[in-house]
Amino acid sequence: MTFDETLAEQIRLCAACPKMCRHVCPTFFAWRSDSPTPHGRALLIHQDLVGTRKIDDRGIEVLYQCLECSHCLTWCKPEVDIASIVEQKRKELVAEGRRPGGLTEMAQAIKECHNPFSEPHESRNNWLSANGKKKGKSLLYFVGCTSSYREKEIAANTVDLLESLGYRVLVAGGSQGEWCCGSPLFRTGDVELGMELAQHNTEMLNRMNAEEIIVTCPGCFRSLSKDYPANGLMINKRVRHISQLLNEIKESLPVFDFEEKITYHDPCHLGRHSKIYDEPRNVINRVSGSKLVEMERTRENAMCCGNGAGLRTLFPEHAKKIGSERVRQAQSTGASILVTSCPFCKNMLGSQAENSLTVLDLPEFVLMAMRGRKLKTH
Amino acid sequence: MISTVLDSKTIKKLYKRMVSIVGPENVHRQETDKVLNAHDAWPLSEAKLRAGEMLPLADLLVFPSSREEVAAVLVAANELEIPVTPVGGGAGTCGGTLPIYGGIQLDLKRMCEIYEIDDQSMTIRAQAGVVGIDLEEHANRHGYTLGHTPTSLRASNLGGFIATRSGGSMSSLYGKIEDLTLGLEVVLPDGSITKCKAAPRQSVGPDLRQLFIGSEGTLGVITEATLRLFPLPEERRFRSFTFPNVHSGLEAIRNIFRIGITPSIARLYDPEDAAMSFSMHFEFEEGHCMLLLGFDGDKVRVDFDERKSVDICAKLGGTDLGEGPSKRWWEHRYDMYYPTRLTTSGYAIGDTIDIVATYDKLERVYDSMKKAMEADDAIVMSHFSHMYQNGGSIYMIFFTSQPSAETAWATYKKIWDDGVAACLREGGTMSHQHGVGLSRSTYTEDELGSLFPVLKKIKEVLDPKGIMNPGKLGLGVRK
Repeated sequence: MTFDETLAEQIRLCAACPKMCRHVCPTFFAWRSDSPTPHGRALLIHQDLVGTRKIDDRGIEVLYQCLECSHCLTWCKPEVDIASIVEQKRKELVAEGRRPGGLTEMAQAIKECHNPFSEPHESRNNWLSANGKKKGKSLLYFVGCTSSYREKEIAANTVDLLESLGYRVLVAGGSQGEWCCGSPLFRTGDVELGMELAQHNTEMLNRMNAEEIIVTCPGCFRSLSKDYPANGLMINKRVRHISQLLNEIKESLPVFDFEEKITYHDPCHLGRHSKIYDEPRNVINRVSGSKLVEMERTRENAMCCGNGAGLRTLFPEHAKKIGSERVRQAQSTGASILVTSCPFCKNMLGSQAENSLTVLDLPEFVLMAMRGRKLKTH
Repeated sequence: MISTVLDSKTIKKLYKRMVSIVGPENVHRQETDKVLNAHDAWPLSEAKLRAGEMLPLADLLVFPSSREEVAAVLVAANELEIPVTPVGGGAGTCGGTLPIYGGIQLDLKRMCEIYEIDDQSMTIRAQAGVVGIDLEEHANRHGYTLGHTPTSLRASNLGGFIATRSGGSMSSLYGKIEDLTLGLEVVLPDGSITKCKAAPRQSVGPDLRQLFIGSEGTLGVITEATLRLFPLPEERRFRSFTFPNVHSGLEAIRNIFRIGITPSIARLYDPEDAAMSFSMHFEFEEGHCMLLLGFDGDKVRVDFDERKSVDICAKLGGTDLGEGPSKRWWEHRYDMYYPTRLTTSGYAIGDTIDIVATYDKLERVYDSMKKAMEADDAIVMSHFSHMYQNGGSIYMIFFTSQPSAETAWATYKKIWDDGVAACLREGGTMSHQHGVGLSRSTYTEDELGSLFPVLKKIKEVLDPKGIMNPGKLGLGVRK
C-alpha cells in the first residue's frame, strides 16, 4: 500500500460520491460508461486498498483511461485530486511491471530515441535553419518532442518569432542536447525513466549559457517547473512558457486584423495544472485587436483535447472523439480560428478540425500577425 | 420463472446474442465493469462499498444506442427469461438500478441525443440517456429552462427522471417530471415499441403515459421523451424569514399558496436543519425555523408575489432576513450532495425519507416520523420543500454512526421501517420524488393498499415472465 491515511480518506470520499463531476469527465464522454470516470477510478483504488478486490487487468486499463486533465477537480467541493491519485497508482503498477503494453513500448522508444515517436534522435532539430541570430537577449528554447517531430512548423515559427522580437535563440542539439522532458513518463507512472531524462535535461540546461528557458509545450513546462523540482532537480535558470514571455512584452507585439472570430483552447497542463489562463488571452487580444470569443467551457472548466497521459497511444479512437468534441465546442462560438498554447493540443485539435477551423499554436498566431499574412480560413 | 443465477452456458449464449445486437464493444462481462457500474447513489450501497462489501452484480452490461436495439435486447431477454435492470444516470437514491438477481444491466447512457426544440409549442425531445445538466444547458442556450433542477442534475438523466417520478427544487412553480413530460416512448418487455403522443391535454381514456412515469423499469424501458419548456425567467428573486416554530412557518407557506401565489422556491427548515444549514452564515434566534422563498417571472409579477408573500410572513410572526439565506442556499444548493469526512467515516450512514402529505396531515406526519426515527438513535433534521396548494413534501434527513457494519445496516433499516410506518400511520405518502427502488420496495404494498393488486395485475399482463427490474417497486420480489 502506497497511500497514507489522508489519501485513503480522499479516495473514500471520491468513491462515495454520487458522481458530481462525471458530466465534465472527457473519458465519460468518450465511453459513456461509469468505468472510466473519476468515481470509477476511485472505487477501484478504494477496493484495492481496503482489500475488497484487487485491481485486475481490466482495472489497470480503466486506470489508464484517464487523461490526467483534472477537470474533475474543478467540480469537486471536497477538492479530491483523483488524477494525482491515479498517477500515484500508475507508479505502483509500473513498478510491478503491470503497465499496459502500449506504454511499455512508448517508454522503450523514449529510452532508446529520447522521444516517444521512435524517431532518430539525430533528426530532432532537422527543422532548425542554420542562420540563427547572433545578438540579443539569449533564450534557450526547450522545443519538446511534438514540435521537434510532429509539429515542426511550430518550432520553426517560434524561433522566427523570438528572433523577430530581438532575442537570440539557442536550441540544444546533438546527442547531449535536449531529450524528451519525461512528461509522458511522469503522467503514466514511469518516474524512474522520467528521472533519467530529467537528470540529463537538468544538467544540459544548467550547462547552457542563456538568460532563461522558454518552452512552448505545457507538458514540458510542467515537467521542468514542477516535476523536476518535486524530485529534487533544480534548474538554474528561469523557466517560462512562451505565453508568459509574450504577455510581458505584449505592448511591442504587432496588431493585425484577422477579420475572423478567434477562440482559445486552454491546455490542461498550462491552465488547470499551472494556472496560466490570462497570459495567452492577453496576447491574442492584443495581437488581434479584438476580444476573443470564449467557449462555453473555458479556463478552469475547459475540456481536455483528448491527447494526454497516454490516452491517444492506448485508445486513439476515443481520444479523437474527445478532440472532435472540443473542436465542435470551438465551432459553436462562431470562430474560424482556434488558438491554443500547446503543440500537443494543436496536433489533436488540428487533426480533428480538418477543414472546418484553422487551428494554430500561439507563436504561429503571433507570427502571422507580425507578417501581416491573411489566413486561409474555411 | 426467471433464473436467479445464470449458468456459464446461458451467459455465453446471452453474450453472443447481445453482441449480435449492440456490437462487442458495447457488451461488458468483465467483473471490474460490473462492479463500477453496479450501484446508484443509494446511501446504503455507498456505505457498503466504503465498508469493503461487494454489491450484487449483473451477468452482463449492455449499452444500446437506439430504441430498436433496446427492443431486440428485451426480445432476447424475454425468450431466455433473463432479468433486465434498466440503468439511467446511476444517480438514484433508492437502489433502483442494483441488479439484485443478476442478468442484464441495460444502460441507456449512449442514447444521449437531443433532438429539436419546438419553439412554437415550447417543447424539447430527447433520448432517455441524456444527462440532466446537458439537457438543461441546451435549453438555456435557446432561452428556455426545463424548470427541473434536482440536486442530482449533473449525474441523473432523462430516463431516470421519468422512471422515478423525479422532482426538482423548483417543482412548486414548474411541476415535477410527470407534469413536464408530454410525450413518451417506451419499449415493452416483449420488445414492442409504444409511443404516447405529445399532447398538452387529452381525453382518450386513462393517461397511459402516467402508467410508465414512475414505473422504475418494471414495466418497460423508457427510450425517449418530449418535455415542456419555459422561457428563462426575466427575474429570479429571493427572500428569507425566520419563524418561531414549524407551525407558523408552514402556515405562512399555506397562506401564500392559498391566495394564488406560486413561488418557485418554498423551503422551511426545522430548528435542527436551520441551525445546521444556516447558523454558520447568518444571525438568527436559536430554535427558530428558516423559510426560503424564491420568485420567478417578469418584474411586475415578481414584485407582486414578493410583496404579498412578505405581508403574509410578517402577519404570521416571521422575521425578515432579506435575500441572504435564500440566495445562499440557491448558490450552494448542490454542496450538500457531496460526501464529507463526517458522513463517510467509519460506519456512518445517513439518508432522506422524502415523504409527502396534504396540509391537514403534514405537521402530524412530521412530528410522528421525527419521534419514531429519533427513538432509533438517529439524528434527525428536516425541511419542508416542494410545496404546493394542497400540501407538500418533507425531507426527513437522518444520520447514524455505529460501531460495526452489522449494527449500522440494522439500525439504518430500523430507522427506515419506523419512519415509514409513522408516515403511513398519519396518512402521509412515503415518497415524493426519490421513488421506491429497493429501499422502499417492501413498503409498497402497505403504501398502495387496495391499489397494490391492481399494480401487480398490470405487471403480470405487461411482463408475464417478470424479467423487468425484479425486486423493485414491490414487484417480483423473491424470497
